[in-house]
Amino acid sequence: MTSTSTSDRIRREARVVGLREFRTPSLEAVERRRLQLWVLMAGLLLAVTAEVVLLSALPERLGASLLRPSVLRTSIILLSVAFTFYAIEKELHLQRLARLLTDERVLTAALTNRLREVSLLLDAGKAMNSVLELPGVLEVILRSATELLEANSGSIMLVDGDELVAASILGNEAARGERLSIGEGIAGRVAATREPLLIDGQADAGMFPGRPDRPPYVESAMSVPLVHRDRLVGVLNVNADRERRFTEYDLRALSLFAEQGAGSIANARLYEGERAHVEELMQLDRMKSDFIDLVSHELRTPISIVLAAAKTAQRPGTEAELPELIEMVERHSLRLAGMVDQLLTAAKLDRGPGSRSFDSVDLAALARVAASEWAVSGVTLQVEANDAVYVCGDPDSLRRILDNLVENATKYGAPPIRVRVASEEGRVLMSVHDRGPGIPPDQRERIFQRFSRLSDHIGKPGLGLGLPIVRGLAAAFGGTVWIGDADEGGTVVCVALPQPVAAEVRR
Amino acid sequence: MAAFRPRVVIVEDDPDILLVLRINLELAGFDTSLAADGATGLRRIETERPDLVLLDLMLPGLDGWSVLAELGSRQDGPPVVVCSAKHGARDVERAERLGAAGFVTKPFQIDRVIEVALETVQHHPMRGTRSDTEELPEGFPIAGIEPA
Repeated sequence: MTSTSTSDRIRREARVVGLREFRTPSLEAVERRRLQLWVLMAGLLLAVTAEVVLLSALPERLGASLLRPSVLRTSIILLSVAFTFYAIEKELHLQRLARLLTDERVLTAALTNRLREVSLLLDAGKAMNSVLELPGVLEVILRSATELLEANSGSIMLVDGDELVAASILGNEAARGERLSIGEGIAGRVAATREPLLIDGQADAGMFPGRPDRPPYVESAMSVPLVHRDRLVGVLNVNADRERRFTEYDLRALSLFAEQGAGSIANARLYEGERAHVEELMQLDRMKSDFIDLVSHELRTPISIVLAAAKTAQRPGTEAELPELIEMVERHSLRLAGMVDQLLTAAKLDRGPGSRSFDSVDLAALARVAASEWAVSGVTLQVEANDAVYVCGDPDSLRRILDNLVENATKYGAPPIRVRVASEEGRVLMSVHDRGPGIPPDQRERIFQRFSRLSDHIGKPGLGLGLPIVRGLAAAFGGTVWIGDADEGGTVVCVALPQPVAAEVRR
Repeated sequence: MAAFRPRVVIVEDDPDILLVLRINLELAGFDTSLAADGATGLRRIETERPDLVLLDLMLPGLDGWSVLAELGSRQDGPPVVVCSAKHGARDVERAERLGAAGFVTKPFQIDRVIEVALETVQHHPMRGTRSDTEELPEGFPIAGIEPA
């Protein structure tokens, strides 16, 4: 709009000053026209001067015969004054035209630059959006920014807590992996103020405390914040060497570019988050199928044995084996019931601890009772405990914890199985120790995940729920569970439980 | 009743399954011999020259795959019916490649095991993986068992 009205004005001015032949007058034509005017003016003034001199030199008699000198002088002076006015008027128009033409040139140059910048931004935007992964997006942003500004190195630093981390580097390997606190150094200052910064010449070390030493070739640098929806994402830095000096104009272009870049980074993050979410869901789905496989296999095995035993018992000629078969049916039915129990407990733990109130329970007594009951099924437990060791919890869950640990020790470990209960450092520590093959340290946390089992244990019956249940139950009382280091070999599972406050201890 | 009773070696580490298999196979007319691990199984097969081996794959010590490979490498080895919880197509294929004559997946129906055992003693092709039940061979009494 501005440019059309300017060119209209230029055309009108050009007509006024007599440049009709020029459709779009050039600045040079105007200058030429001005020169012509000045030459014409100078010629005329010279001619008038010469004439005045000549007339005054002429003898009175001759002059009188032509014209009266006073009349002649007056007419010459009037003529020159009129012409001077004409020349001044033209000169003024020409000057205005020259100014308008200069404006137009500046405007055209600015528009061309702007167009170039927009087209580069558009290209960069397309490139940024064609990549989905964050590292790719960062690389495109950085490459486009250095191309756009003819810089020769740069970096993108992303916000990580209250620090900036160099996430993408171009042409400046020294900065790889660099970390800066927000507020520290040039990028840190930009992150803190969210104001773009242009540095011409060597940065004053005193102005930017904590600034890491840059290579000496950096002569001009710009640093702009990457802000998306009022959130600081990071900082974009570009550097140039001696050949190039950045200007305010470059800084504005980079700021514009950074706006777009911040949006792309936010999109890439969104995409990565979404992808992680999908992966998590897929993992959950796999876990679910694994769970169904495991549970159905573990449940079907005792069922098939119960069915086979029952069917066998009905065949004629099996009277002698009948007691054994009946005992088998009972044992596997109990195993099934135990597994259903474990599944229900795990499901209950999933729903959260609920609002249970805990009693003070004598864990030493509980362990001794458990030992006598395990002895009936042929498992010997060596209990090492003081007379009474009180913990805060509920007896059923504590018994389930101990039973699960003892069951694991019999199933995967080897005798002797030692159960130790002792109070130490303001808490109660219960440990179950067996002399089996032990568990490699790198597997010790994994087996607390549901349905996960050690490769050595595949083939042995079990749902992979024992330890997760122990941990879940203990956590309900504020306890923790871990696999310890057994000095004498084997496995030691430790459960730390809180002691009740003194007033709760009931004897 | 014919005097001939085929002999079967059952290699299985679960004592309950071992017992159930022994009772049913004996009722079906087999003489049984038991082994709870791979090494014992191979020794039993060596000394008793059975007409059939029922083999579990997951065994303590020498596992079922090794036993199967060892038996498959012999010219006069007995037919082996694999009886295992491993039931992926690749496991069945591997068993067949190693020379197994049949495959029964756990948890099994006892009648199906007996059926496959009886069929295998008569002729050797890979059996048991098929879901359709073939007619039981004539003349092989299965005491007290109705075919599944």
